[in-house]
Amino acid sequence: MTSSGRAATGVLSALGLAAALAGCGSDGDTLTVYSAQHESLVRTMLEGFTADTGIELEFRDANDTELANQIVQEGDASPADVFLTENSPAIDVVDREGLLAPLDPATLDQVGEQYRPASGNWVGFAARSTVLAYHPEAVPEAELPASILELAEPGYEGRVAVAAGGADFQAIVSAVLALEGEEATRAWLAGLERNAEVYASNTAVMKAVDEREVDLGVMYHYYWYRDQAENGLIGDDARLHYFGGGDPGAFVSVSGAGVLASSDQPQEAQRLVQYLTDRAAQERLAESTALEYAVGNGVASAEVLPPLAELGAPDVDPGSLSSPEVTALMQEVGLL
Amino acid sequence: MSALTVHDLTKAFGATRVLTGVSLHVPQGGFTALLGPSGCGKTTLLRLIAGFDDPDSGTVLLGDRVVAGAGRGVPARRRGIGFVPQEGGLFPHLTVAENVTFGLPRRRRRDRARVAGLLDLVGLDAGLADRAPHQLSGGQQQRVALARALAPEPSLVLLDEPFSSLDAALREETRAAVAAALSAAGATAVLVTHDQAEALSMADQVAVLRGGRLVQLTDPRTLYRLPGDLDVATFVGEAVVLDAEVRDGRAHCALGVLPLGRDCPDGRARVLLRPEQLRLSAPEPTAPSARVRGIDFYGHDSRVWLDLPGGLAVSARLEGADLPAEGDDVSIAVLGTALPFPSGPRPARQDDRPPPRPVADVHLESPVAAPAGPAAG
Amino acid sequence: MTLALAACVAALALLPLGYIAGYTVDVGWSGVRELVLRDRVAELLWNTGRLVLGTVAACAVLGVGAAWLVQRSAVPGRRVWHVLLVAPLAVPAFVNSYAWISLLPGVDTYAGALLVVSLSYFPFVYLPVAAAFRGLDPALEETAAGLGLSGWAVFARVQLPQLRVALLGGSLLVALHLLAEFGALQMLRYATFTTAIYDQYRATFNGPGATMLAGVLVLLCLVLLLAELRLRGQRGYARTGRGAARPVRPVELRRLTGPALAGLAALVVLALGVPLYSLAHWMLAGASTGLDGGALLTTTGTTLALAAAAALATTAMALPTGWLAVRARGRVTTLLERSTYLGSSVPAIVVALALVTIAIRATPWLYQTVPLLLAAYAVLFLPRAIVTVRGAVEQSPRLYDDLAASLGCSTVERLRRVTLPLLAPGLGAGAALVFLAVVTELTATLLLAPTGTTTLATAFWSASSALEYGAAAPYAVVMVVLSAPATVLLSRDARRSLTP
Repeated sequence: MTSSGRAATGVLSALGLAAALAGCGSDGDTLTVYSAQHESLVRTMLEGFTADTGIELEFRDANDTELANQIVQEGDASPADVFLTENSPAIDVVDREGLLAPLDPATLDQVGEQYRPASGNWVGFAARSTVLAYHPEAVPEAELPASILELAEPGYEGRVAVAAGGADFQAIVSAVLALEGEEATRAWLAGLERNAEVYASNTAVMKAVDEREVDLGVMYHYYWYRDQAENGLIGDDARLHYFGGGDPGAFVSVSGAGVLASSDQPQEAQRLVQYLTDRAAQERLAESTALEYAVGNGVASAEVLPPLAELGAPDVDPGSLSSPEVTALMQEVGLL
Repeated sequence: MSALTVHDLTKAFGATRVLTGVSLHVPQGGFTALLGPSGCGKTTLLRLIAGFDDPDSGTVLLGDRVVAGAGRGVPARRRGIGFVPQEGGLFPHLTVAENVTFGLPRRRRRDRARVAGLLDLVGLDAGLADRAPHQLSGGQQQRVALARALAPEPSLVLLDEPFSSLDAALREETRAAVAAALSAAGATAVLVTHDQAEALSMADQVAVLRGGRLVQLTDPRTLYRLPGDLDVATFVGEAVVLDAEVRDGRAHCALGVLPLGRDCPDGRARVLLRPEQLRLSAPEPTAPSARVRGIDFYGHDSRVWLDLPGGLAVSARLEGADLPAEGDDVSIAVLGTALPFPSGPRPARQDDRPPPRPVADVHLESPVAAPAGPAAG
Repeated sequence: MTLALAACVAALALLPLGYIAGYTVDVGWSGVRELVLRDRVAELLWNTGRLVLGTVAACAVLGVGAAWLVQRSAVPGRRVWHVLLVAPLAVPAFVNSYAWISLLPGVDTYAGALLVVSLSYFPFVYLPVAAAFRGLDPALEETAAGLGLSGWAVFARVQLPQLRVALLGGSLLVALHLLAEFGALQMLRYATFTTAIYDQYRATFNGPGATMLAGVLVLLCLVLLLAELRLRGQRGYARTGRGAARPVRPVELRRLTGPALAGLAALVVLALGVPLYSLAHWMLAGASTGLDGGALLTTTGTTLALAAAAALATTAMALPTGWLAVRARGRVTTLLERSTYLGSSVPAIVVALALVTIAIRATPWLYQTVPLLLAAYAVLFLPRAIVTVRGAVEQSPRLYDDLAASLGCSTVERLRRVTLPLLAPGLGAGAALVFLAVVTELTATLLLAPTGTTTLATAFWSASSALEYGAAAPYAVVMVVLSAPATVLLSRDARRSLTP
């Protein structure tokens, strides 16, 4: 009978554990944050928030579009109070569904106008620039393309790496769409489908360039700078090329923060977004190893980065980028 | 201990009728064997008595108490019936002692003396008490199963082919031990078996089941000597069955003119002899003659296969060493009487049992060894 | 009552399938045409198809060859080889592919994917074939040899036909696993239906694209399953026999001993040595960047708790079905049992996708909760529990109930004193199998884990996706260590673990 005794003990302890797990759900003083931004960056910027305000945070970390579509599906029943994205198209999806609450004007005013949408329902809290990583031995500087659109042309077959499944690349496509229109974008994507090697992430793209699996890779700047800061373990041999000149390839993507209209703790949620965009948090971002651009008024970004204003980014309203159309186009050409 | 009375019991599974109107009485302290070929319904009858299944109609009484039928169904656990299944059915997760005392009230389960007493009753050493069932031989398992069934002092013990899985030597020994234990306990017992030797040797009453009906209920000797019909006759032992013409109380057949064991109207009949009734001698002109076709030598006795003139074949059981040789011509003498079964239109059977075995139109005998293989009733 | 419970379990198991079917009907023919009849799907079909075929072929060759050497030849150290050949099962496929790609970034090709998944999956063929070899009657081989057949001819004409069922059963298992494989192939950048569904999910959550791809994938699984059912119907799986009554005289290899040993060693080095070396390498590399012991401990605790809860829930759910399958054999119970097998043949990605959507729409209070995750685990791993529960119930025939009743036990007492003690070892084994499966479950956990819940697999996944190989290694090591007992179970009883 000892075996049944042991079984009973096992049953009870497992039940206890399950109950403990189930008990992890949110309660009154905990904000649920759906976050697609890098964990370390968000945690750094929100350092001290719980200590200052007494508000506990619980994060659900996933990908931009996944979380955005998830919130849309969840609708009014969404457990999320705050939504943080890596790129603006995702938060725009939620905004267009009318699921975001207007932000406090004071919060909006902490950030430059070009980093927030006209609706005023969300606000940028970080920015990142599109770059072309290249291997100098494979492509001399002089032969680098002048525009990201050239990557779809013949001659680049099998030479370009993109992380097509990721929201970062899809944000870049949304900029192309906003700047060049649907027909041109479809043709560009079709060319890329032929030319590009698809990787799982920006880091993988950079690594592929570093190891000369491909010649060129489309990604964001900070992966390279971060790697440099960590002794260039992954992308040492790769160099960055900024398209500049208002090219779609010089697109600067804004990470957005918004408060869900369905939140049952709207004040605490507003407080969080305010905290994220205030001077102190933005300075923490600038000083951190995240190496994304700060967007707070009067806050300078990390010194190793070329200044944001000098990147020659195209003029795109961050509230105008459409994620669903991009997904549809990419599915159509077979990149997704 | 109580008497068992079964009255007009009927049971069907779906469209298949398994028992039809079975009635049976087992006196208190008696030992009754339910004998029949596999599929005859004997295990079903046992399960109805035990209370594992409910009859469609009919009653089961333990002493004066109705336990099944007439709108009553006493659950198995309140019937006080001990049950010994094939292969013992010892609980594999319990020791011998725990098995034996399984049916006792909790406080009496720890009584080692009681365990020792019960093991002694079935002829087992008390040292086995702490063994696991799989460490015992098949015969020992059966005895432990009997001890377990006897422990709560049941009013009746049911044994379902308990010896069929044992090999021949172990079977004899275990049978003896079980019979002794049952008699020592003064138990009323019902044994299901397809082995006629087992039924005849152990029981004081044999109930022959066929096609779900009780065809004969009597003591072993009567059953062997005066079987109710030829099927029973061939089932309970080897038989020599011959066509005969009955005239004036005597049967005229291939083995001559034989006296009859009971009255029979004149006319065509079939007569039953047992092989041990035939005696062989050197050819005599007046006696029926035969030629020896072959001999099965068993040591203590032998079976001699004989061809009669006209194509008939019979067998004789002979004791002793004085055997004819193959190919010898011999004369046949018959000891005792022949048992006549009038032929002609038999009463129509209304049940759905398989047609009776062809009991030799021309030739005779079918040595009824027990059918091979497991035979649940 | 039991029947109703079993019916509920079957309904849960069929829920994902039902969702996909319902959705397809909803989308209609034009929607299906738009979403399914496109180049991308054709490309995925080609990718998936050639990988499945290639892997099945490779696993068949490796599995049969290794099984013959270990079971029938005189190669030295056969027992050790047997354990070593089963051991790769302790390394989850996605950990294996992490091990390879982190050492050799160039393996992200068709050939690389073929190599890595074959090394992960060949034990699925090796185990049943080895068991079948053990069950073969050596008298047949001796008779054939006596008739003048050469060693090779004995193998081809006598042994292989008898191994056919075990071989095909193992191959189908490989194919089904491969269709459901996400982590390993995603890491190798090899796009199949399952990875494409995940990409779609990340881009659109539960959009129509993801769901229709899932529909195609489910269809592929059903085709395989039908093939399996046909096979089973004709012959039944080869049972793990008790082995030949008499020891088989192994075939002497003579001068082929060297090559045979080298072959086995190469296989073990590739399938087991490479992942273990890679993990050790990254453990050391990761130590320099600092190992977060606290996080590892918390994650391990969460994983163990989830696995224990899932084992408990799944085994409890398997009880009615397993019980009825033995005690009330019939058309209805067979149907219920088969339903759970069918349900669990649906890849984890599809199960998770369906449960997310259904929960959001129908049971918002279950959404993002542990019970929903446990439900997914149950759907995926029920057959493992049912098979063992079945086996346990077979060990406790109705006879024991009757006997206990005749000895005066009430129903409750009977349950306590006879049935449960007899079922306990089987239930324990079933629970252990589910437990071990959950410890390394990645795909469904990624989609369904409640906010704030991280398991070993998801922690490993997020680190290794970010190419932080050093940070990923400790989680992989814990998973391998926790899975190791499973290989002991597996090397002992092939049938139990391999029935889908």
